[in-house]
Amino acid sequence: MTHVQRHVDPTLAYRFACRVGMCGSCAMTVNGRARWTCRTHVDAVADAGRVEIAPLAHLPIVRDLVVDMSRFFDRWAEARGAFVPTATRNDAFAVVPPSAPARKAVDAAIECIGCGICYASCDVVAWKPEYLGPAALNRAWTLVNDARDGAHAERLRAVAGDAGCHACHTQQTCTERCPKHLAPTGSIAGLKRLVARAALKGEL
Amino acid sequence: MTPVAAATWRWLAQRISAAVLAACVLVHLATILYATRHGLSTEAILARTHASRLWPAFYGLFVVAVAVHAPLGLRVILDEWSGLRGRALDVLLLLFALALLAGGLRAVSAIA
Repeated sequence: MTHVQRHVDPTLAYRFACRVGMCGSCAMTVNGRARWTCRTHVDAVADAGRVEIAPLAHLPIVRDLVVDMSRFFDRWAEARGAFVPTATRNDAFAVVPPSAPARKAVDAAIECIGCGICYASCDVVAWKPEYLGPAALNRAWTLVNDARDGAHAERLRAVAGDAGCHACHTQQTCTERCPKHLAPTGSIAGLKRLVARAALKGEL
Repeated sequence: MTPVAAATWRWLAQRISAAVLAACVLVHLATILYATRHGLSTEAILARTHASRLWPAFYGLFVVAVAVHAPLGLRVILDEWSGLRGRALDVLLLLFALALLAGGLRAVSAIA
């Protein structure tokens, strides 16, 4: 992309920041498939010597390869993706054993960089734009497993419903394409179980 | 019931009915294989189903599971592909469920 901008078309607009797979800003559609472009070698994806680069799917285009990520991050807020503390700065540090099953579940899902590849790859998002999407639900899963968080019940209500975790068809495209090798499908399955349990207890 | 709870119960109902259907389909297939392998006539099959309350109960459960499962699956497809939502969708699927239930139970009554 940098070569094209510097030598072919200086007006080309695209996003990048870290160049090392940390910031999640360079996701684009490469030969029809969402990828992080900073860590994608052209020779690995060229199809008969051709590479077609397009903006991420399911998000409004601002210009060239730049999409408006607002809808993607709005879904995180709708899924109650913000940590709600139960302690104050005067309290002692929470003790969370790394071996605790809930903490292990958090560890498996926490490394999301918010690139939007899963969201752009999800068929349910295409059919149902109000669907919260894999990344927001994965974020909610890390928080419902966080022993320090104080909004479990509200979060379960936020991720339930027709546009929430139960809308996932378990097609696993998000899991297949996540550049950080996370498994949002597994996180969503975990939310489905917790939400179903809450419904059985009459807590929704 | 909140809309969120209703959606979760719909999901649960579809999963539970799917589990029931999985067992029912296996028993149904085994029954068909048994009947055809042993060359049972229509009269012989009906004589057996009339003699036992288990067969109408089994097929009654089968019909109820279908009437729960199919409309809920169709609901998701129509929601995603046609944009049909809200009360109109609920009424349409309720009618579909009732039609499945009526047709199925009519067939069950014939073997009872």
